[in-house]
Amino acid sequence: MSASNDWPAASVGARLETEDGICVLTYQKLDAQAIIASVADDRAGATAVFIGTTRDSFKGKVVTRLDYQAYSKVAVKTIADIIRKARRQTFRSEHHADGYVSSIIKCAVHHRLGTVPVSEPSIVIAVSSPHRKESFMACEYILEEVKRKAQIWKREFYEGEREEDAEWKENITTSMAS
Amino acid sequence: MSTSAPPEITVLYFAAASTATGLTVERVPLPSGEPLPLTSLADLLVSRHPKTNLDKVLLSSQWSVDADMVDEPEKVVLKGGEEVAVICPVSGG
Repeated sequence: MSASNDWPAASVGARLETEDGICVLTYQKLDAQAIIASVADDRAGATAVFIGTTRDSFKGKVVTRLDYQAYSKVAVKTIADIIRKARRQTFRSEHHADGYVSSIIKCAVHHRLGTVPVSEPSIVIAVSSPHRKESFMACEYILEEVKRKAQIWKREFYEGEREEDAEWKENITTSMAS
Repeated sequence: MSTSAPPEITVLYFAAASTATGLTVERVPLPSGEPLPLTSLADLLVSRHPKTNLDKVLLSSQWSVDADMVDEPEKVVLKGGEEVAVICPVSGG
């Protein structure tokens, strides 16, 4: 059965906003500038951004596109939990020797679903903080945890190969290559 | 509410599990209408999809029940009405 454009019914656009940040799954093209603007804050001296885009090759094969699907209602909960942990971690720099205050101001994680053509973003993470160190660290932590835990899957399609043979990726076993 | 309908669960398949079964969702009646330990679900699903690689996929997958990831499958018994998903190794990002 060829199901490349027949997304699971449970793989839908979703949005979960918590006190720690916002998580969005969408079949729409990601607008990195709008996502960066969404974490803007007058208290922020730093905004760290990660944009993951579809690469055109994998182990010498030409990648034509990636298809993403998610168990959306579970994935947004997982990502919200990751954002919460990122904010709770003591990523405090020397500037904040006093009691516990999260030094992360705003977090936004947007992941695209459906077909993502080569060179377009599949994930955009934006984190703002008073100083650079915390937002860099939180941004990387969120990315690695989303790749490890969020209930999202990608299938890579290669030039000259049958669609049925397209490979479902696994971040744990292919993390060195992904 | 009909009392005669046998209890069933809804199983969601994603990624490699949906490629294996050719399905993204399947209603599965509980055998004999009895509660089913989650640890017995893999064998039941494999029996419904023989000649597929679902057995292999399930070996590397986790379960979620009613949108919660299951850490200890041996402690979960399905009574019917649950939404159970096969969570294959993830690959977001």
